[in-house]
Amino acid sequence: MAKVLIPTPLRQFADKHDSVDLAGATVAEVLASLTQKFPDLRKQLFNDEGKMRSFVNVYLNDDDIRYLKKDATPVAAGDTLSIVPSIAGGV
Amino acid sequence: MIKINEAAWKAMVAHAEAKFPNECCGAMIGSIAGDVKDVTLAQPLENAYTGAQGARYELRPEDLLEADKKARAAGLDLIGIFHSHPDCDAYFSKTDLENSCPWYSFVVLSVKGGKFDHANSFLPNAEQTAAEKEELIWPKS
Repeated sequence: MAKVLIPTPLRQFADKHDSVDLAGATVAEVLASLTQKFPDLRKQLFNDEGKMRSFVNVYLNDDDIRYLKKDATPVAAGDTLSIVPSIAGGV
Repeated sequence: MIKINEAAWKAMVAHAEAKFPNECCGAMIGSIAGDVKDVTLAQPLENAYTGAQGARYELRPEDLLEADKKARAAGLDLIGIFHSHPDCDAYFSKTDLENSCPWYSFVVLSVKGGKFDHANSFLPNAEQTAAEKEELIWPKS
């Protein structure tokens, strides 16, 4: 089981949990478990085409999965997945 | 509604004025009770934008992850993001909108001539096409 940390504003879609332990051998499988358990999270994390929204980053422990094997990155028992947005802007 | 306490507000304004004429950015941490978000801690973060920072800011996701970890360790929540608009009003620009996320409050501080002028808070939608204004309360000096 891996631990997925739920950002504060998304807890309303996850029965108020701040983290949840989920099964899955890869990041994609763990995220599938997450959205299966909490279907309302799907719309927050994925667009209508099923692709991860552009502002969503996923970290496996302290590493951005974009620099690993993306959503095929293997997940081991005891790993922690964090959902972190990309944020920028300007006048 | 988002309420910012005095200590957090001072830290946000000080960071915005110190970075002028560049944009600053940071995380707002606190707690949420019903519809009220109470910000009790402001964490200045580095503007990671690699070009001219007078009109742009960028947060490193890993810095935000670290701020979230600190908040969790203190039993608090990451509530929002703040950034400044140097010599410009506190509106939510097209660039802000296109690089936003719908999960957090976005407080914009207008800094004119190096001094804080006014602020607004916004709640962008998931499609990054619109941002609703949110009631913002900060300690008036």
